[in-house]
Amino acid sequence: MSTKHSKAAEEFQANKGLAAWHDETLWMVRAKRDKMSKQLPEWEHLRDMACAIKMYSNSHLDQLLTEFEKNAQANGAHVYWAKDATEYCSIVYNILKGHNVKHFIKSKSMLAEECGLNEFLEEKGVEVVESDLGERILQLMHKKPSHIVMPAIHIKKEEIGELFVREMNTEPGNNDQTYLTHAARKNLRHKFIEAEAAMTGANFAVASTGECVVCTNEGNADMGTSQPKLQITAFGMEKIVPDRDSLGVFTRLLARSGTGQPITTYTSHYRKPRPGGELHIIIVDNGRSRILAEQDHIKTLNCLRCGACMNTCPVYRRSGGYSYTYFIPGPIGINLGMLKAPLHYYDNVSACSLCHSCQNVCPAKVDLADQIYRWRQKLDSLGVASSAKKTMSGGMKFLMERPELFNFALKNAPIVNAMPRWMLYNSLNDWGKEHEMPRFAKESFNDMWKKNKVK
Amino acid sequence: MSSREDILQSIRRNTRVRYEKPDYAPLEEEATRYPDLEARFKEIMTQVGGQAVTLKKGDDINQVIKSLYPEARRIASTVDEVTTSDGKKLAITCATFHPDDVETPGELDGTDLAIIDGRIGVGENGAVWIQQDVEQRAIYFISEALVILLDRRNLVSNMHEAYKRIDTGEYGYGVFISGPSKTADIEQALVMGAHGARSVTVILV
Repeated sequence: MSTKHSKAAEEFQANKGLAAWHDETLWMVRAKRDKMSKQLPEWEHLRDMACAIKMYSNSHLDQLLTEFEKNAQANGAHVYWAKDATEYCSIVYNILKGHNVKHFIKSKSMLAEECGLNEFLEEKGVEVVESDLGERILQLMHKKPSHIVMPAIHIKKEEIGELFVREMNTEPGNNDQTYLTHAARKNLRHKFIEAEAAMTGANFAVASTGECVVCTNEGNADMGTSQPKLQITAFGMEKIVPDRDSLGVFTRLLARSGTGQPITTYTSHYRKPRPGGELHIIIVDNGRSRILAEQDHIKTLNCLRCGACMNTCPVYRRSGGYSYTYFIPGPIGINLGMLKAPLHYYDNVSACSLCHSCQNVCPAKVDLADQIYRWRQKLDSLGVASSAKKTMSGGMKFLMERPELFNFALKNAPIVNAMPRWMLYNSLNDWGKEHEMPRFAKESFNDMWKKNKVK
Repeated sequence: MSSREDILQSIRRNTRVRYEKPDYAPLEEEATRYPDLEARFKEIMTQVGGQAVTLKKGDDINQVIKSLYPEARRIASTVDEVTTSDGKKLAITCATFHPDDVETPGELDGTDLAIIDGRIGVGENGAVWIQQDVEQRAIYFISEALVILLDRRNLVSNMHEAYKRIDTGEYGYGVFISGPSKTADIEQALVMGAHGARSVTVILV
C-alpha cells in the first residue's frame, strides 16, 4: 500500500529529531493562529465573508479581470494575459530583454514556482535573485521550498551557517539566527541596489482600482520595487477581488491564519508606475479557468496561500513538504496537484487522515478534506486505486454481505490476541507499523447488546 | 485569437453558477471596536515589535525624536511641520536631508532614521497607512529606523474602517506598515530588521 508519499515520509521520519522539531514548531504556529482568531468574536463571520467574496469573484472573473485591466491601464500600467506557464515566462523574459536587464530581483511568488520562472530565465542568462530570506537560502542551496509561507522550515541553522560562510563570508561556527539574518540583509542590500528590474507576485488584485496588493513581513517586495524603476507583477487570476472594502476582510484573515500575526508588517498597494518608471502586470490562467467547470473542486480557487492548512495537518507536520509530489504540499497542494494532473499526482491523496482540521482553519473555507475524499472515490475510475486496498475492500464486502460468516469471524477474532508478535507485526500488515494494534474484545458489542448488557 | 480572448472565452465557457456579491455591512458593523483606541494602539504596537508614544502638551518633538534615536546621524524627513491635535504647528528641524535630494534611491542606503507621515493608524493590528508623498519611496524601507508621525484623531479600530479612509494619492502607492521588518525564516526564530527598518516608533501627536 506504499505510495510515493508514504515512502518519502518514512525518509523524513528517519531523522527523528528534525521530524519532532518540525511537528512541534508548526503546531506552535497553529496555536498562535488559534489565539489570534479567538481574540475576534466575529472570526467565523469573517471566514464566511471571505468565502462569499471569493465565490462571487471567481464566478465573475470575466467582468472583474477586464475591469482590473481597464483601471490598471488608466493608471499607466501595461497589462498582459498569459494562458500558460510558457507564455508567462516568455512575457517576463521579453520585458527583461527589452530593457537589457542583467540583474533581476524577485520577491516570493508561488506562481513563479508553479511556472518554473527562475529556471527559464537562468537558462537564458538572466541572473535571478530571490529576496525573501527563506527563498534566498533555498536558492543558494539549490533546493525547493517545503512550505508556501515558511519555505525553509525544514533547514537547520547549522546548515545555513555553513552556507553563509561560503556565500556571505560570515564567521565560521556562528549560527545565531539574528547574526545570520543581518548578514543576509547586508548582502542583499547590494543586490537590491544593483538590480535593473524587480518582480513581485500579488496577494490580491483589486478590480475597482487596478492596483496589486503584496503582503510581506521582511519588506523585500518594497525594497525591490523602490530601487529599479522597472517593476513586473504577476498573479494567478483567482487573486482578483472586487474592491478595497473586500481587502478589509482578507487582510484581517491572512496573517492571523498563516503565521498568527494580526497583520503582515507590510501590506503594499501598487497602483501606478514610479515617476519615469514602468509597471508591467501579467494575469495568468495556467489551468485556472478549467477549474471553474469542476463544481466539486471550485473552492480551491478561494485559497489565499496562507499555509494554515499545512500548519494544522497532522500528516504534513510529520512528513514534511518534500514528501508530496506536487510543488505545493499539504492539503491544498494535494487538491491543486489533482486538478493539475491526477495521473501524475494521485500519490498525494493518501496523505490525509480525513480529520478535517484543514477545512476548519481555512480562512476562505476551502472544503479541503471533502475534496480529498471525493478524489479518493475517483481513484478507481482513474485506474490508479491501490490493488491491495481494492482486495481488502472486496474481502470486506464479501464478509459484510454474509452475516453468519461475519458473526463467526467476530466471535473468533480474539484468537488474534494470542498470536505471536511476529505473525501480527510484519511487512504484510501496514497497520502494525509505528503503532500497536488494538486488542480484540472478548465479547462483541453485538453479543453484549443481545444479553442486555448495554445500558 | 489573442491569449486575452482565449482566456476570457475559457472563463465564460467554464463558469457555471454566478454567485452574488455579499453585503459587507453587517460584518463591518459587528467588527471589534476598542473603547480606548490610543491605549489599544500602544499595546498592539509593542506586540508587533515597535512602540507608540504620545507627544504631550509642551513637548519638543525634535527633542523627543532625538531621545528615541540618540545615535542617528543621517536623518531624512518627508515632513516639514506637523500639526498637533490641539492645532499647534511644530517644525521638524532634526532632519539632515530630504529623501528627494538624492539622485538615485540607492544613495538612501545608510540612512539612520527616516521621519515620515502616517495617515491612519489601526488599533487591531498596529498598521499605519503611509501614502507615498515623496518621489523616493525607498526611504520608507531602506532606513535603519522609522519614526511615523500620526495624528491621534486618525486612529481607527479595524481594517474595514481603515480601508474606507485610505488613498494612494498622485504617486499611486501606499502601504500599511505594522512595526519593524521581521523574519522567522531561520528555525522560526523571530529577528527584527530583515530588509526594512529594524525599529519603528509611532509618535501620536
